[in-house]
Amino acid sequence: MIKMKAGCLQPRPAVVVFIINFIIHTSCHLADLQICHTCNGTLLNDTVVGRFCSSSDGRVEGRCCFQNLNSSTTVHVIGLDLSNCSLDQIDDLQDASTAVVIDLSGNPIVNISDFVFQGCSALNEILLPTNLLCPGGNASWESIAVSEGSVICRGQKSMCNETRRMTLFCPENSCCAPNGPGFFSCRCIDGYHGYKCRREGEFPFIQVFAPIGVGMVMLSILLWVVQRRKVKTN
Amino acid sequence: MPSVCCGCQSQYTYHHLLAFLLTFFSYVLLHASRKTFSNVKVSISAQWTPSVQNESLPAFSPSQVWEEHRLFADEEEATLFLGALDTIFLFSYAIGLYVSGVIGDRMNLRYVLCFGLCGSATVEFVFGTLTEWLHLYNVYLYCGLWVLNGLLQSAVWPCVVAIMGNWFGKSGRGFVFGLWSACASAGNILGAFLASSVLKYGYEYAFLVTSVVQFAGGVVVFFGLLTSPKEVGLCQESEAGFGPAVESDSESQRPLMSDEEEDEGCDGGYYSVEQSEGPQEELPQPISFLQAFLLPGVLPYSLAYACLKLVNYSFFFWLPFYLSSNYGWKEAQADRLSIWYDVGGIVGGTVQGLVSDFLGKRAPVLAVSLLLAMGALVGYSHSPADQVVNAALLALTGFFIGGPSNMISSAISADLGRQDALRGSQEALATVTGIVDGTGSIGAAGGQYLVSMIESRLGWMYVFYFFIVMTGGSILFIVPLIYRETRSMWRDRQGLHQHL
Repeated sequence: MIKMKAGCLQPRPAVVVFIINFIIHTSCHLADLQICHTCNGTLLNDTVVGRFCSSSDGRVEGRCCFQNLNSSTTVHVIGLDLSNCSLDQIDDLQDASTAVVIDLSGNPIVNISDFVFQGCSALNEILLPTNLLCPGGNASWESIAVSEGSVICRGQKSMCNETRRMTLFCPENSCCAPNGPGFFSCRCIDGYHGYKCRREGEFPFIQVFAPIGVGMVMLSILLWVVQRRKVKTN
Repeated sequence: MPSVCCGCQSQYTYHHLLAFLLTFFSYVLLHASRKTFSNVKVSISAQWTPSVQNESLPAFSPSQVWEEHRLFADEEEATLFLGALDTIFLFSYAIGLYVSGVIGDRMNLRYVLCFGLCGSATVEFVFGTLTEWLHLYNVYLYCGLWVLNGLLQSAVWPCVVAIMGNWFGKSGRGFVFGLWSACASAGNILGAFLASSVLKYGYEYAFLVTSVVQFAGGVVVFFGLLTSPKEVGLCQESEAGFGPAVESDSESQRPLMSDEEEDEGCDGGYYSVEQSEGPQEELPQPISFLQAFLLPGVLPYSLAYACLKLVNYSFFFWLPFYLSSNYGWKEAQADRLSIWYDVGGIVGGTVQGLVSDFLGKRAPVLAVSLLLAMGALVGYSHSPADQVVNAALLALTGFFIGGPSNMISSAISADLGRQDALRGSQEALATVTGIVDGTGSIGAAGGQYLVSMIESRLGWMYVFYFFIVMTGGSILFIVPLIYRETRSMWRDRQGLHQHL
């Protein structure tokens, strides 16, 4: 599936930008997200996702519910309703990794890999067809309920606080962050960056190379005056 | 005319001091960059490999931070490759030494030295910093660059020894060279400090700093170095031959001769009686490689140095790894502890040089030191896990092994390159130094592979047995020289007693 950013172009300075922005705002690339059009129909008000969408002041587009991200112009998916779509497998939910509520009930899905939900750290409620288990196992959810032919998993538990399982550890200079039901990621702690979080701070180029350069020039001049100027060529 | 002084050093000018310091720091910078590579091995191998996680657990995410680089599957493979890089470097360094020594005797020493310093700095920059900034990790690129680095670095040692040989004559050479040959160990210490202080920003910055400093050093040397006293009109230092008897004769005759001898355009300073045959204006001819190889003393000392440099360089390359794997100490601690070996080497080289100057003979001093080194190795291999005791034993081992090693590679090479057999008519110093050090480097290169093989099959204790055997071997090679020098020493002592 082609992954496309849900959102408008980043704003560029000047009035022209404002105009472009206005135009784009009204015809944003929201429609380009394929996952919202996996099957026909649109988000209905009386579904779980629909109720959540209206209570969060989101904008409906196809089967997705969008919301502005923290006063920037980018939008992201907060709700996804793929119920009764006759889907027999779900491979990729990357575009909806920011979703808070996902509804997959009423589909003839046999099983769904846990890895589909890797990255869905904001996911708080998911509805699945009856025969399926909650992603990440029962231990990853606060409450699991079975009703009306669907399984509802609510309240994702962060893997990082898990005490019942063996202690998860992140390598040096990184700390645990939730990364979906049953997943964790190791993010570099403040001040550290780079591959395996081994690098700390920014290299002080000026403080190191200015003295070296100045010293080199001064020593060269000094030594040339003292030594090589006296060379006798014969 | 200079005042009557028998063997004192009033003929040394500030030019001598500057020549000493400039050549000293050239080699310090070179060795610092080599030590940088040894010290960042852990960081480099971490950069080349993905993170290791237990079988049952999923890999770390995000994968760009933890799993992306897969030049080697795990740290063991990376370590093997790093060891192979060491070996490749030493072999190309050895080959380069044979060639550079010959070149140094034929071309301007200053140009060759600068070319070596600046060229090697550039290659190191590309190897460590540029590949990281461009995220270009390639096994063949690394090998090729390191071969080039070895060839370029090989230009430095023969040139600096030749320049020192030009400036400092036979008398006091042991002490001066002993002090001067501390440059390798001083470079190790500087490199260790530089690397550890910059390592937190990333290993590429350690390479960046050392290569920039080395390049700057090359520029300073270009503008400030005088390769020989002749360049400013001072006299070339004397070569009073190999034995003390000749030395005392020339010293007592010198003031008399200097009044009568034709002034050869010298500003002052003493010149040798020995060189009175052949006109000084005639430029010395550079010696051929084969002739230099067949000079008396070159072959036994080269072979002895091969064994000794093997042990010395094995300590240089493997000590931090041995300390952290055998005693479980952290890499930074092991790096700092390994400095003690270099400290012992500095003291050993200086003290033994002084003693050999006093005795007038080098081989017996070497023999005694090497015998004691075998004992020190046994002691060190059984060292307890206490850091203080370990450091002390390490310094002792460094004293007994590093001392002879420094002496052979510097003072003795200078002796060999300026001996009687040449009669002042041949430039051989750089060539001979190249031969001795080249043979030593081949021994060291072969040894790296052997050490890693013995360690993986038999363990560290057998590595120490191997070192002891090598030290014994180096004594064996110089036995004929020891015999000859001890016998002449004994005869001189008896002769002195008879006179009294």
